[in-house]
Amino acid sequence: MYPRSMEDSDCVLVMGSNMAENHPVAFRWPMKAKVEHGAKLIHVDPRFTRTSAMADIYAPLRAGSDIAFLGGVVNFVLNSERWNKDPFFRTFATTYTNAASIVSSEFRDTEDMGGVFSGLMAYTGDAPEWPFNGFIGEYESSSWSYEREGGGAGGDNPGGGPRETGREDGGGPNEQPALDATKAGAGGPPYDDLVRALLQPPVQRDDTLTDPRCVLQILRRHFARYTPEMVEQVTGCPRDQFLLVAQTLLDNSGAERTSSIAYAVAWTQHTYGVQIIGCAALLQLLLGNVGRPGAGIVALRGHASIQGSTDVPTLYHSIHGYMSAPSALEPHNSLSEWLAQETQPTGYWANTPKFMVSYLKSMYGAAATRDNDFGYAWHPKIIGDHSHMPMFVAMNEGRVKGMFCIGQNPATSLNAKLERSGLRKLDWLVVKDNWLHETAMFWKTAPEVRAGEVATADIDTEVFFFPSSQVAEYDGSFTNTQRLLQWHYKAADPPGECRSDMYFTYQLGKRLKALYAGSTLPRDQGFLNLVWDYESTDPREQQLGEPESEKILKEINGYYSEEPGRHVAGPEDLADDGSTSCASWIYCGVYPSPDENRSANRQADPPGVPGAHLGWGFAWPSNRRILYNRVSADPQGKPWSERKRYVWWDEAKTQWVGLDVPDFPTTKPPTYRAPPGATGMDAHNGTDAFILKTDGVGWLYVPEGLVDGPLPTHYEPVESVVRNPLYKQQSSPVLKYWKIDGNPLAELADAKYPYVITTYRLTEHYLSGAMSRWLPWLTELQPELFVELSPELANEQGIANLDRVRISSPRATVHAKALVTRRMRPLQVAGRTVHQVGMPFHWGWEGLSTGDAANELTALVGDPNTTMHEGKTFVCNVHKA
Amino acid sequence: MIDAPSSTWFTSSPHWNWLIVVYFILGALAGGVYFLSAMIDLTGRDRRLARLGYYMTLPLLLVIGGVLIVDLYRPDRFWHLFVEIHTLRPMFKWWVPMSVGAWSVLIFGFFSLLSCLAALFEHRDWRWRFPRRLRPPGVLGMLVTVPGAIMALVVTGYTGVMLSVLNRPVWSDTPLFGLLFLVSAVTMAAALLALVGRWIHGDSPVVAALNRIWIWLLLVQIVVWIALFVTLGPAVRGWLNVWGVVLAIGIAIGTVLPLLAARFRTARGIGGLPAAAVLVLAGGFMVRTAIVFVPEAIAP
Amino acid sequence: MAEPMGFFTDPTVCIGCKACEVACKQWNQLPALDEDRRTLSGDSYDNTRKLDGTHWRHVKFVEQFDEDRRDGRWTMLSDVCKHCVQAGCLEVCPTGAIIRTEFDTVVIQSDTCNGCKACLGACPFGVIDINPVSKTAQKCTLCYDRLQAGMEPACSQACPTDSIVFGPVRELKERAGRRVDQLHAAGEKRAVLYGADENMLGGLNAFFLLVDKPEVYGLPPDPKMPTRHLATGTLATMLGAFVVGLVSLFNFRDRRAGEASAPDRDQP
Ligand SMILES: Nc1nc2c(c(=O)[nH]1)N[C@H]1C(S)=C(S)[C@@H](COP(=O)(O)OP(=O)(O)OC[C@H]3O[C@@H](n4cnc5c(=O)[nH]c(N)nc54)[C@H](O)[C@@H]3O)O[C@H]1N2
Ligand SMILES: Nc1nc2c(c(=O)[nH]1)N[C@H]1C(S)=C(S)[C@@H](COP(=O)(O)OP(=O)(O)OC[C@H]3O[C@@H](n4cnc5c(=O)[nH]c(N)nc54)[C@H](O)[C@@H]3O)O[C@H]1N2
Ligand code: SF4
Ligand code: SF4
Ligand code: SF4
Ligand code: SF4
Ligand code: SF4
Ligand SMILES: [Mo]
Repeated sequence: MYPRSMEDSDCVLVMGSNMAENHPVAFRWPMKAKVEHGAKLIHVDPRFTRTSAMADIYAPLRAGSDIAFLGGVVNFVLNSERWNKDPFFRTFATTYTNAASIVSSEFRDTEDMGGVFSGLMAYTGDAPEWPFNGFIGEYESSSWSYEREGGGAGGDNPGGGPRETGREDGGGPNEQPALDATKAGAGGPPYDDLVRALLQPPVQRDDTLTDPRCVLQILRRHFARYTPEMVEQVTGCPRDQFLLVAQTLLDNSGAERTSSIAYAVAWTQHTYGVQIIGCAALLQLLLGNVGRPGAGIVALRGHASIQGSTDVPTLYHSIHGYMSAPSALEPHNSLSEWLAQETQPTGYWANTPKFMVSYLKSMYGAAATRDNDFGYAWHPKIIGDHSHMPMFVAMNEGRVKGMFCIGQNPATSLNAKLERSGLRKLDWLVVKDNWLHETAMFWKTAPEVRAGEVATADIDTEVFFFPSSQVAEYDGSFTNTQRLLQWHYKAADPPGECRSDMYFTYQLGKRLKALYAGSTLPRDQGFLNLVWDYESTDPREQQLGEPESEKILKEINGYYSEEPGRHVAGPEDLADDGSTSCASWIYCGVYPSPDENRSANRQADPPGVPGAHLGWGFAWPSNRRILYNRVSADPQGKPWSERKRYVWWDEAKTQWVGLDVPDFPTTKPPTYRAPPGATGMDAHNGTDAFILKTDGVGWLYVPEGLVDGPLPTHYEPVESVVRNPLYKQQSSPVLKYWKIDGNPLAELADAKYPYVITTYRLTEHYLSGAMSRWLPWLTELQPELFVELSPELANEQGIANLDRVRISSPRATVHAKALVTRRMRPLQVAGRTVHQVGMPFHWGWEGLSTGDAANELTALVGDPNTTMHEGKTFVCNVHKA
Repeated sequence: MIDAPSSTWFTSSPHWNWLIVVYFILGALAGGVYFLSAMIDLTGRDRRLARLGYYMTLPLLLVIGGVLIVDLYRPDRFWHLFVEIHTLRPMFKWWVPMSVGAWSVLIFGFFSLLSCLAALFEHRDWRWRFPRRLRPPGVLGMLVTVPGAIMALVVTGYTGVMLSVLNRPVWSDTPLFGLLFLVSAVTMAAALLALVGRWIHGDSPVVAALNRIWIWLLLVQIVVWIALFVTLGPAVRGWLNVWGVVLAIGIAIGTVLPLLAARFRTARGIGGLPAAAVLVLAGGFMVRTAIVFVPEAIAP
Repeated sequence: MAEPMGFFTDPTVCIGCKACEVACKQWNQLPALDEDRRTLSGDSYDNTRKLDGTHWRHVKFVEQFDEDRRDGRWTMLSDVCKHCVQAGCLEVCPTGAIIRTEFDTVVIQSDTCNGCKACLGACPFGVIDINPVSKTAQKCTLCYDRLQAGMEPACSQACPTDSIVFGPVRELKERAGRRVDQLHAAGEKRAVLYGADENMLGGLNAFFLLVDKPEVYGLPPDPKMPTRHLATGTLATMLGAFVVGLVSLFNFRDRRAGEASAPDRDQP
């Protein structure tokens, strides 16, 4: 869902985010809901923050115990009379979720195995060239899949299947269909046969929801131990507070009411972050809070256009539009292998061949032909996890020669000292930024240099600094939290030598192409054939060397290969035969004709008229604002209630209509039944609202795609002050940890580090502070680094407000001023008092306001699905300095 | 501020400093001395002493003028007190003590200049005798001295009224600072004139009269202090700090002690009380210091 | 005169983001980082501490928590010049620098002020201070320059939650009344308006909703005009003058003084 839709919520749960402080403008909408129609606002956070201040209900919890809390709500809901009686919930669950689907008989839940799922084994998946993936274990996950008609686990669907299936030693039951499909696709387009070859027998169902192996029964058993008592034990949240939250959510869900959940990085920055979010999704599916106005989960994104940067990805492991990057660890050796591996036979992803071929056409243009697999072989392949932490680990091992640091400040990032020692091992470092920030200056002013531990003269890294222009100095687009593209125009020339990042990338590409010119090496052909023409038509921009951003957006949108002046109008226009070129299928339609840039649209709905402001910008895909909005109508296509009507089936027009662009085939009637053997969207019934899912339903239970389990399970953070009260398994068995010098972890309940610490943001500053600590107006608002602690803890340690204190973790010690406040509180966890402290991570040693980086304290440990670090909870000690 | 005794506790500081103390003291002395000189003149007594007074007033006023201008954050704009800069009309707000004060100092300065000139011409026996007429007796002299004396009193009193309308703790919790300042100004001036007169011209009946005047006025002051504390009510708490101590000492040495001394001496019929006069001046200084700084010590 | 314009500030929806503070500084190009404010105040998240010549908006942070945290509240209130209908600052300004505009707002003309400081203490709310750059008294102008151009003030425009609402005072009062009713209905019985009626200095054009005693937010419970003692003070002083005159006349007229009267024009 998107933030503005929270205006329509009857209850808003903010958890895993400090929305008021970090998304103040978006926070306008829950505030509107609260003030204008009395929506209940709930905040669950270890600290009482400015969001808590606005909340009707504030519930404290121990950092990192979110799954226990949410699991408790799931258990509460499943056992509630209302959920079991109200026909809305039952209908919603059976029609729109996989509650009725039967799971493989081989599946074993955490209940039976002390906190782990079936299939756990040792990790052996690193490529020798890149031994940095960091997994401490892995699952062979075929036992998690659905039971299919005709008996036996159908095995993982190849699409998005777990990594290990492709490894030499992997194999597994799903290799068979993949091979067939590869053959079917080997002859080139059309790829219909390939898609058909991927088809599997239908999933077994029990619509009475009584089969012990149906998803709902598995859920009931899985969450049975998440009782209110247990929630209190694990999270430290007083039971009555927890019950109030659970009851309020339930009361505000149903046909007439909707609740939304907002989270951000306080859910992602854990070694089980994806599972926390999954748990929230599960809860919202159970409550029918998906695809409806004021319902859903708002993933509050961070950096400006961070959404755009994952759509048109800077992510190492995906190519545009969330397709998997070709990988050396997967059976990705040819286009047909890649397609067989990545295509889903049913649902919208059956179009993958069209998306992929159009993508390759956008990469290699005319050089991409049917005969050369559209240049697939030229495309670079990944050889492992190339995200932030493994990169710096590899850097420390001397495996990385150079780095472009464009709009990032790693010198104060995770386990900062290690990041800086990595930088010192580089041959060259290019920093492109608006400020001479800590990374640009690491060789001169880093703490270890100032302390004399490292001499500047001994650092061989050659550092280049390129001043960057600011956003108002070039044309371009932002994609915000709600997947909305908004064009922005250049207001002024950048000063001096400052240039945009587009300029830098474009010019670098041009120069490299010139350097490679004439090479006949096969590995250089991709570079040579790369389409790279964004030359500006504006003489002024030409003089500056800036490319034309419209040209880039046009390429992303796509056009007909033979007729570049004719744009494709939407993903439906894409073809798998090379006749269309489109960099990113999800953005397809943003530029439907050369003179219509829909991201520049600025037509808001008139006040008082219900609508989704479809005339404002362009939301991918196809300008839809709320995804899966088919579920806002009941199975028959009628709105669940007048109050919550959004998209519905118009009998007279025989099409889906409503306030938004329907996220469903426009003319497919609710009564449509998929014929056997159908592929793609034809394989979905008129009630299968989740069009990207193979089975067309929302997944309460996730049979594939996650590496750490099909159901959320409470684990303790890597560093914890308590033993896991729920399971024998202490923390995630498959998390990522890099055991290298300088990255030690505390033992469980280590007496040297008795307190829980969390790191976070302040409204007044921005991230590493490179953008805010230079600004006097912001600096005076929060002039110094502090650590927040409760009076109780301060008392225990003899610390007074504003005292200088030492905070230490197994990695480092930093100094800060104490801010003693009752907003922090000790919690009773597992029968003892747990103190939590909190530190903003905005400081570094350059700028108008300087201070230690909180990230000196953090460790290189991460989520097994995303490699997101666990910055939100670890252990520390606090002393008066 | 939860239990602030008065709404004045919520106002903020006008950053007054020692310049103001200096101004308050010198202003009080200038006004008081001129007033007493004028009274001496008007009652036709010791012309020497009155002349002495006029001589003292003008330089004091010049210093005061300088202090007042320097004390502005924008001294270059001191004249904005007299002219509205957009319309170039005279700037005068009768209900604003500072406006009244600024004009008073200006006008008083004018009269005191005339009186001083008269004294000078009288003294030096210069050929041009007209300026002598600027002193009584004589109509012209009366026309200078009477309004001059009134302006002198305005200058001594307006500062106190100004305090009462500055809205700061203690200052504005009583309307009596004007009264106090006026009375104490003349008290101090009497002590000063007696002191200087006696030093230059020796004992004289007018010096004795001046001594009696300050003794009388000290008695009046005690009444004023009592009234002032009564009107302050709970805002008296504002003095529960170092400035309260300064005030107490100031009252003790500037009011109580000289009175005791005076009572003891007058019993023996002796007029000259130099030590007591010095005490009066010192006490007046301390009292003004305590008053000027007291709001600053009250935490907002 | 145009209709009186002002602000209604509602701390129950203020998220303490300080966007108003920054917007004001940005629009009015006010400097930052004076010595006092380079350090953490230790007072919740308030580090700018007060309204003054370079802080025309200031967000107060009030933490009220029981020891056992059962009852807890963190209130933020964005404070500003109240643009009083009876404005103490305007009353006492001796240069006429402070004027009332056609929007019934109170504005200090920077070109006129000579930094006499009279208005600093005079304001019942402690709003004004000297701006160290211009060396004149400064405070919120209610964005007079923007109002003249038909624009909304910078601070209220920046406020994401409509904690600061700008508009004709009459309409604001209606809106504020509705909000108080709403809060009362929701069980927040402490909600009251501060400065919305004529009893307080003739009415504050920038008025507030409060959910506790005004003192809790650093606001005086009964702000008073500085000039309230003008008449009594002047009368008392005149009485003093009378007494002083009598005392001196009496003493100089005294026989003993007359006897020893020195010769008139003694010469050196
Ligand atoms: N002003 C400002 N706004 C920003 C940013 C900024 O730097 N400054 N950064 C932007 C970016 S890049 C991002 S990613 C977003 C991030 O937005 P948020 O996720 O909201 O940011 P954080 O402040 O890191 O964390 C939010 C809250 O999580 C709480 N918390 C810590 N651990 C846990 C936990 O285990 N469980 C739960 N439930 N809560 C926990 C913290 O106490 C904190 O209040 O903000 C964006 N917006
Ligand atoms: N302990 C802990 N660590 C965290 C987090 C946490 O919650 N706790 N949060 C994490 C999160 S969510 C994030 S997003 C990261 C952020 O970490 P970083 O991205 O490293 O931090 P920023 O300060 O945002 O760095 C962005 C840089 O981009 C520059 N910049 C701005 N605009 C442009 C431009 O147009 N072009 C170029 N080239 N440069 C530009 C800025 O000047 C700034 O130096 O921090 C992470 N680190
Ligand atoms: S900084 Fe920008 S993105 Fe963040 S809340 Fe403010 S307006 Fe929105
Ligand atoms: S609040 Fe103070 S500064 Fe503002 S108008 Fe009223 S008296 Fe003047
Ligand atoms: S400081 Fe300026 S604005 Fe204030 S009273 Fe004096 S002249 Fe008027
Ligand atoms: S109205 Fe204008 S001057 Fe006043 S506080 Fe708001 S932004 Fe600042
Ligand atoms: S901008 Fe609005 S919400 Fe933010 S601090 Fe100011 S008044 Fe409060
Ligand atoms: Mo982020």
